Amino acid sequence: MKTIFSAISRFVDRRQSLVFPAPAVIVLFLIVIIPIVFNLYLTFTKWTIGLGQPRFIGFDNFIELFGDERVWNGVKVMVYFSGLSLTLELALGLLIALYFNRAFKGSEIVQAIYIIPFAATPVAVALIWRIMLNPEIGVMNYLLQSVGLPPSLWVSSAAMVIPTLVMVDVWKWTPMITLIVLAGLKSLPHDPYEAARIDGASVLQIFWYITLPLIRPVLIAALMLRSLDNLKEFDIIYTITQGGPGIASETLYLYSYTVGFSFFKAGYGSALMVVVFLIVLVFNVIMNRLRHESQVV
Amino acid sequence: MKRGMAFVALAVLLCMGMAAATASAAVDWKQSQGTEIRFLMNKHPFTTYIEPKVADFEKLTGIKVVIEAFPEDQYRNKRTIELNAGGKVDGYMIMPGQDDLHYWKAGWLQPLDEYIADPKLTDPAWNPKDFFASFAKASSVEGKQIGIVINAETSLLAYRKDLFTKFKQKVPTTMKELEQVAKFFHGKEVDGKKLVGITLRGKGAAATSQWVDFLYTFGGSWTNAQGQSNFSSPENIAAFKFYGDLLRFYGPQGATMLHWAESTSMFMEGKAAMIYDANVFKALYENPKESKVAGKVGYAVIPAGPGGKKLPHVSNWSLSISKTSTPERQKAAWLFVQWATNKENCLGALLAGVPAGRASAWSSKEYKAGDKQPDWTAATMKSFEIGQGQWNPPVINVPEIRDITGQVIVDAIDGKDVVASAKKAAELMDKKMER
Repeated sequence: MKTIFSAISRFVDRRQSLVFPAPAVIVLFLIVIIPIVFNLYLTFTKWTIGLGQPRFIGFDNFIELFGDERVWNGVKVMVYFSGLSLTLELALGLLIALYFNRAFKGSEIVQAIYIIPFAATPVAVALIWRIMLNPEIGVMNYLLQSVGLPPSLWVSSAAMVIPTLVMVDVWKWTPMITLIVLAGLKSLPHDPYEAARIDGASVLQIFWYITLPLIRPVLIAALMLRSLDNLKEFDIIYTITQGGPGIASETLYLYSYTVGFSFFKAGYGSALMVVVFLIVLVFNVIMNRLRHESQVV
Repeated sequence: MKRGMAFVALAVLLCMGMAAATASAAVDWKQSQGTEIRFLMNKHPFTTYIEPKVADFEKLTGIKVVIEAFPEDQYRNKRTIELNAGGKVDGYMIMPGQDDLHYWKAGWLQPLDEYIADPKLTDPAWNPKDFFASFAKASSVEGKQIGIVINAETSLLAYRKDLFTKFKQKVPTTMKELEQVAKFFHGKEVDGKKLVGITLRGKGAAATSQWVDFLYTFGGSWTNAQGQSNFSSPENIAAFKFYGDLLRFYGPQGATMLHWAESTSMFMEGKAAMIYDANVFKALYENPKESKVAGKVGYAVIPAGPGGKKLPHVSNWSLSISKTSTPERQKAAWLFVQWATNKENCLGALLAGVPAGRASAWSSKEYKAGDKQPDWTAATMKSFEIGQGQWNPPVINVPEIRDITGQVIVDAIDGKDVVASAKKAAELMDKKMER
């Protein structure tokens, strides 16, 4: 008995680098690697869940994808929604971080209140927004009218739906950018600022020539983190509009969900997911390169 | 042995005790004693009604029933995924109009005809003839009964009785009159609120469930005699246009985002003169805690189309038995389905607010005595009688074709070129239909 134990313990001692990570690797393999490989396999099949087995069809799903109007609509909506919301979140997040970076009375309380939207559960706040945005019984139109503005259709109009969803997304996620950027600002060195002030630089010049270049890696990191979620934004859009009116707010990600879990077309749905994945991947590879370049400078 | 006899005697007594009508010596309710069956259910008022009573059934039969209930959206996904994975499911709730073809082709629906015909398994008092013919047909595929109706629905026109009297308007009986009345009320100010003429579902795929009644009533259909999409036919285009125009000119703003919840709340807020939606929403309209129009609502069957036709749809939830289960458990599951849909339970469910599929429940003294909206009951009965059970496209991939249809409805509401949109949808539908 003893010899078995000592044999095991000797084995563990000698192969620590293999034995200790093994449980994590096994779990990861089961719940991450296998599903991804299975998903990749499904992209080359035609399979409606419940009707027979997956049938191998080669690249047909990817060929179909190019002729599918809703895919192009999805890409368009994705670019519009993400482009607008990421830009606004980054710009506003930076401005507000600069504001919070100066010490002022009660700044801790203001900051605590400010991050509430970020801390709230997305689906819960989206449900509340959905009711508030109802053009007939929602409070948003009541507010508009009470200050003498005409009511809006908000998400009920194809033209207004994306700007409105962007508004909700910006409200919810700008605090996250602010938090990251604020941490970055606090860690900046003091010397360049002192030197600049002695040289008589203006506030704007200091921001443009010192703060911005120094904070750039942090900004890009924040953008990367945010874009990972934003490019596959689901909870806010699905809860408020389900992609409507019509398909005016149906991002590619939402469409792939519909294909997979409403139409139960697992093969085509998987192919769409892979396309979403590639878009997110390419965007982040570019961002990562930018980040490295800015760090070298 | 003596104890066994006592059990049988007790069971028979219980049977007779439940109602004289079901007491029959022919069916041995104990025949599947000791079997355990598992039913997947939607969190539906019927489930709420039947769950506390399951203990009676277990006592009667010695069968152990495990019921697992989930909210509707999750339920549909879970049911499909569990059946696909071959889990131990013996029976489940299904909306045949939504899923029957898919489930039938997948081999998940056990035909019930043999059980019903077998006097050893089915009590004559259960009487299949008591179910409305439209629903029995709606719960069958290729001539096989695949489910027994537990919740029977149709759609009705609901209107503000008080306003119709005040403004001396007649309840519309034709589509033309419907448009005129909607036009008359649209923009009228009542109690400081601007009315809309009518509210309907306008949200793409979700709107097809009520739009289909207009389609049939205008003489249109999903597919033509050759089995191809019929969307480009003049009747179908007329139905798309009429429905879209009603909402665009006389409906709420932002109509393309109206699901039933938004549409019914417009009506309950007192902001719409009429609504066409599921008859069961009467429970919402007439609830004084939630609705400002309780007690002021009248009900009518769908107005007639240009050809004089009235063809609403009927839809239902049914209890079905899984084909993937074993014969022994299927037998026990049938005893459960039969018991859950017997006359007492159908009546009990109706009295609890779940519209039954049995005629005897509706004509019973108990129901009539408590009926506060006899015009609703009359309109519902009429609609059950003339209703059509096929309310979805006759395909396996129902959600996908509904989605394609919904896009034309949205275009019609937005005032886009309906002919072009319908033609595009027809081509897409022909490409995507799976049967």
